[in-house]
Amino acid sequence: MCVLCWQFLTESHWTDRQFEGNDSSTATAGSDHERARRRDRQHRTQVLNQLLAHYGLRLDDWHSRSYLLSDRKGKTAIVQDLGALWPTAQQLTGRLLDPLDPGLLAQLSHPPAAREPGV
Amino acid sequence: MNRTTARPITIVTGFLGSGKTTLLRRLLASPEMHGTAVLVNEFGEVGLDHHLVQRLDEQTILLGNGCVCCTVRHDLVQALTALLDRDQRGMIAPLRRIVIETTGLADPAPLVFTVVTEPMLQHHFRIDSVVTTVDAVNGPLHLNRHSVSRKQVALADEIIITKTDLALPDTVATLRERLRRDNPAARVTTAILGDLDPQWLLGPQASQPTMARTTATVPPELFQMPSHPPGAPSPHTEIRSLALTFTRPLDWIAFSVWLSMLLHAHGEAVLRVKGLLNVGTTGPVVLNGVQHIIHPPEHLATWPGEDQRSHVVFILHALEPEAIRTSIQAFQHLLGARPTVDSDDNVP
Repeated sequence: MCVLCWQFLTESHWTDRQFEGNDSSTATAGSDHERARRRDRQHRTQVLNQLLAHYGLRLDDWHSRSYLLSDRKGKTAIVQDLGALWPTAQQLTGRLLDPLDPGLLAQLSHPPAAREPGV
Repeated sequence: MNRTTARPITIVTGFLGSGKTTLLRRLLASPEMHGTAVLVNEFGEVGLDHHLVQRLDEQTILLGNGCVCCTVRHDLVQALTALLDRDQRGMIAPLRRIVIETTGLADPAPLVFTVVTEPMLQHHFRIDSVVTTVDAVNGPLHLNRHSVSRKQVALADEIIITKTDLALPDTVATLRERLRRDNPAARVTTAILGDLDPQWLLGPQASQPTMARTTATVPPELFQMPSHPPGAPSPHTEIRSLALTFTRPLDWIAFSVWLSMLLHAHGEAVLRVKGLLNVGTTGPVVLNGVQHIIHPPEHLATWPGEDQRSHVVFILHALEPEAIRTSIQAFQHLLGARPTVDSDDNVP
């Protein structure tokens, strides 16, 4: 159980899976594994914020354990992982967050400083 | 407990009269099946002479959003927990494998959901494969008329066409082609009266993740778009498939964000997602999902073959493949790679 937010942390969401070959249960602060985990969370937060901005939302990493999801009016919710993020974002916005949404796709297709990916 | 010690579960499904029990009866007679417990929904006309057969009295608990795939089968939780208890007390021979035979009208997705998400079960058991039997004589009719039959095929890792001795060769060939089209990621074979080498289903390869088995044995063209034109429905069904190839390594974080968002919005329409992903590490990541449910992604130490590109197959119900392709194209800047629908020969 998380001593800060009293949430049971029994299982990690499939999107939190890491592929460095380390067992997350043996991770210790300061280890390579922990650094990789924090780096992944930072990257995930950046990716998510590019999507959430379209819906007027913002995500912040909270002590590398949870995320704070906020709208422009300051309403904030704590979410543990992506399994909780999408339904919570839907509650905050009253909209379905949909990767097939043409408006979102148009925004992603013309990012401010997009790099051309390879194939 | 990790995947190497978790006991594998094989789900045997198929429409009414498609030969599930006949197949099981033959399989259970083989020495390879020692230590296998069988859970059945109903005792059919073909009796199973096996000491570890247990009946499931379906008790379902519908969760949260009412999605049928996200349903906990409480009967399965109880049955597997009881088996584990008997195994750990030494009351039965060491439990090596579980086989679950569904009813002919069952949707296998809740069984997968229960094992993958139940806090205790997920540590002791893993879904090894979904095996679907399709009757060569009546199968085409069932597929045309019954959505549950189409779903059983869409969710399969292995498809066995049964009763091929009673059907014309052309009928079997047409059915086989249709099944390949409806589920490009499954292996398809034939069996008469359940006569199938257990090694094919449960042999040493069975200890490998399902997708690795599939890619090791199925010609690469099956991971390309099926023979019907992109976006066109399979004849007589509303199920469509899409196979994507990425030549460059994928950004796993971005891909998992995209997929989790897709499954949140359209999980019920994504009957199956299956793939081998190159995420820039030494081996591929095995991706395996059924509707809202994603199996814990596995990282293989090595690639099963020389092809080290990412391949992902989507089997969709009432969702346009073109919409998925358009979305993932728009996400290419985040993913770090651009998909192609066909082989890399078409890469611009």
